[in-house]
Amino acid sequence: MKTRIIVAVALAAALAIPASTASGGTTKASASSITVWLMSDAQNGWPTAVANATSQFKAQHPGVDVNIQYQSWDSVLQKFDASIAASDTPDAIELGNSQTAKYMAAGAFQAIKPKNYPNSSTWLAGLKQSCTYGGHTFCVPYYAGARAVIYRKDLYRSVGYKSAPTTYSKFLAIGKKLMKKYGSNSNFSALYEPGQNWYVAMSYVFDYGGQIAVHKGSKWQAVLNTPQAIAGLTAFKKMTLAFSRASKTNDEAHPFPSIPFAKGRAAAFIGNGWEWPYVFNPKGGAAPASFEKKMGAYPMPSHVKGKYLPTFLGGSDIGIPVQSKNKSLAADWVKAYTGTASETLIAKAGNIANSTKLLGVNAKNPALAPFARAAAFSWFVPSAPNWANVESNNPLKPMLTSILTNRASIKSAVTKADSQINKILNAKS
Amino acid sequence: MSSRSPVAAASVAAPFPPRRRPLGRRLRLAAAPYGLLLPASVVVAAVLAYPLYYLVRLSFQHYGLFQLVRHKGEAIGTANYAAIFHDSVFWHTLLRTVAVTAVCVVLTVVLSTLIALLLAELSSWVRLLLTAGLIFVWATPVVVAISIWSWMIDFEFGVANWTLTKLGVGNFTHHDWLANPWSGWGVIISLIVWGAIPFVAITLYAGLTQVSGELLEAAAIDGASRWRAFRDITLPLLKPIYVIVISLSIIWDFQVFNQVWLITNTTPTPDYFVMAVYSYVTSFKISEYGLGSAIAVVMVGIMALISVFYVRQMVKLGDVE
Repeated sequence: MKTRIIVAVALAAALAIPASTASGGTTKASASSITVWLMSDAQNGWPTAVANATSQFKAQHPGVDVNIQYQSWDSVLQKFDASIAASDTPDAIELGNSQTAKYMAAGAFQAIKPKNYPNSSTWLAGLKQSCTYGGHTFCVPYYAGARAVIYRKDLYRSVGYKSAPTTYSKFLAIGKKLMKKYGSNSNFSALYEPGQNWYVAMSYVFDYGGQIAVHKGSKWQAVLNTPQAIAGLTAFKKMTLAFSRASKTNDEAHPFPSIPFAKGRAAAFIGNGWEWPYVFNPKGGAAPASFEKKMGAYPMPSHVKGKYLPTFLGGSDIGIPVQSKNKSLAADWVKAYTGTASETLIAKAGNIANSTKLLGVNAKNPALAPFARAAAFSWFVPSAPNWANVESNNPLKPMLTSILTNRASIKSAVTKADSQINKILNAKS
Repeated sequence: MSSRSPVAAASVAAPFPPRRRPLGRRLRLAAAPYGLLLPASVVVAAVLAYPLYYLVRLSFQHYGLFQLVRHKGEAIGTANYAAIFHDSVFWHTLLRTVAVTAVCVVLTVVLSTLIALLLAELSSWVRLLLTAGLIFVWATPVVVAISIWSWMIDFEFGVANWTLTKLGVGNFTHHDWLANPWSGWGVIISLIVWGAIPFVAITLYAGLTQVSGELLEAAAIDGASRWRAFRDITLPLLKPIYVIVISLSIIWDFQVFNQVWLITNTTPTPDYFVMAVYSYVTSFKISEYGLGSAIAVVMVGIMALISVFYVRQMVKLGDVE
């Protein structure tokens, strides 16, 4: 028996040795590499900008590897939280400009000195604001984006419209004609609009004078249960049910609207600038190159003459977590990635660069200019520190599903969403 | 005599001291089983007891992102528990979890019994084929299985809608299986039961092979119907196995998470909340780790009660044998 115990102990010891050397190995590795979390948009839309930044960084720091890990919007915050809990955060991380407030308020980011970063005197004001908390700057503006309608000129022409609509009534008229002509194919959408695409639904809310939530006294109050917001959602519902055969329980990433569009199942969809080239990406639908000539874009018209439907002015920032052990290396990579060279590539991929100096990059590009025009009318999420929690556990998505599937009246759906939003926004942080 | 008796006493006592004297050794022998248990206990303590302790501690704290960054919670007594017990979503979720568990367990056990009975009747090569099929299902990693099911019921390009439409069952083009929670739960429950059947069916079949054919023959001669024979002979004989598979199924199905989480693209609406999902959403989606832990603790409590029943049954079975 004794020998058996000895054998067991020896075995256990043998197992323990590789384990301990393995853990020693990772610590050593982290000194010669940095880890950066970027959203998969960069991977899909502008991988050359990432490569450019990394080679620039490597020239500066030979022997230091850059480990880029692409994340999805669905799960990045949960993963980031887990890495904070484990004190094993990435050295730099991209967050949406509506998500940064929560992390700045919690002290998760290292404060930075803007003057050490390229083009910081011309950073886009909206993005810069999303990086500022309590008078300090905690992240670096990365890029912004506006949404516009990406459409098939040939299909629009086939129902008698040679140019893009400039009024909402014309937009509706085209949609009706398209549905009449092609709608017997039950896969066809005049405008492919996923039911849970809350960015577009909220655009309607803002277009009709509504808002999501307002700051009253010391509390936040959701205001979807107002005549303006309900009018906006009513128009959204009417348009979506008439023109779209997209799922009512999925959002604009499941699937990406570019896929049915590339497959000829949709005459149009509302997308970000980078979704134009993504139509040709193997993952984005792999449209044939001949498609390019048939495609166009226009800012979605508002129901108010002369205006556009306000677009969500989304964007991203890059921060350096306080727990990072390679802060100065990470800062150098971020400088390379948000500098003029990389930002020009990012802009060319269909985005608005982080600096006003680079706003002219796409001025002569007929495909991308409409997105810049669309940005003239925009909306943004409430500036509450807890807003990121609303997006994570998004009560707006089930609200839209129940409105579009007629499971609840608009009135009762917004009442329910309001109470959920109030609870999250006013929770102690 | 008097001189002999001590000797005799000594000689009698002589074998005694050697047995008794090394008290240390006796203790060591008595301690050996505990010593052997020690490594396993350390592992269990490290991977189960400590996390559980931490979970319970967390459930009495306010622990949000601010606290997470500093690795330090804020004690708030039982406020988290008060919050969940006054939360209607919690009660709906609990009821839904119980209902889903009940439906899954009943379906799993009934269907598995039928398959087990079928296996017993089949010729050996068909039985081999069916068993292989069951093993394949069993061997499919759950995440892979869920992805396949997601593709099948996909709204835009799914094969289920295509097939049903081609078969003329109705126009299923762009049928959204998850739009209605009843059909959505139908899909999820099918997925859970599909994955659970192989283990239960094969276990029950193993039990069936132990039921003596003579008993069933005798019953048949006495004029008992097959249903009667099953109810009065097979079922009582298989009772111990049923107790085990039903208890295990309850434990597994009560904590279902992956199937719900992945088929809803990690964004389940409250209609799709079960306890594990609700706890996860509260913790990780809105960074209320204390509150999420309180929900998890309630869940652990319910599971512990079910496990007590299971363990008692196991002990009882052991006693009979």
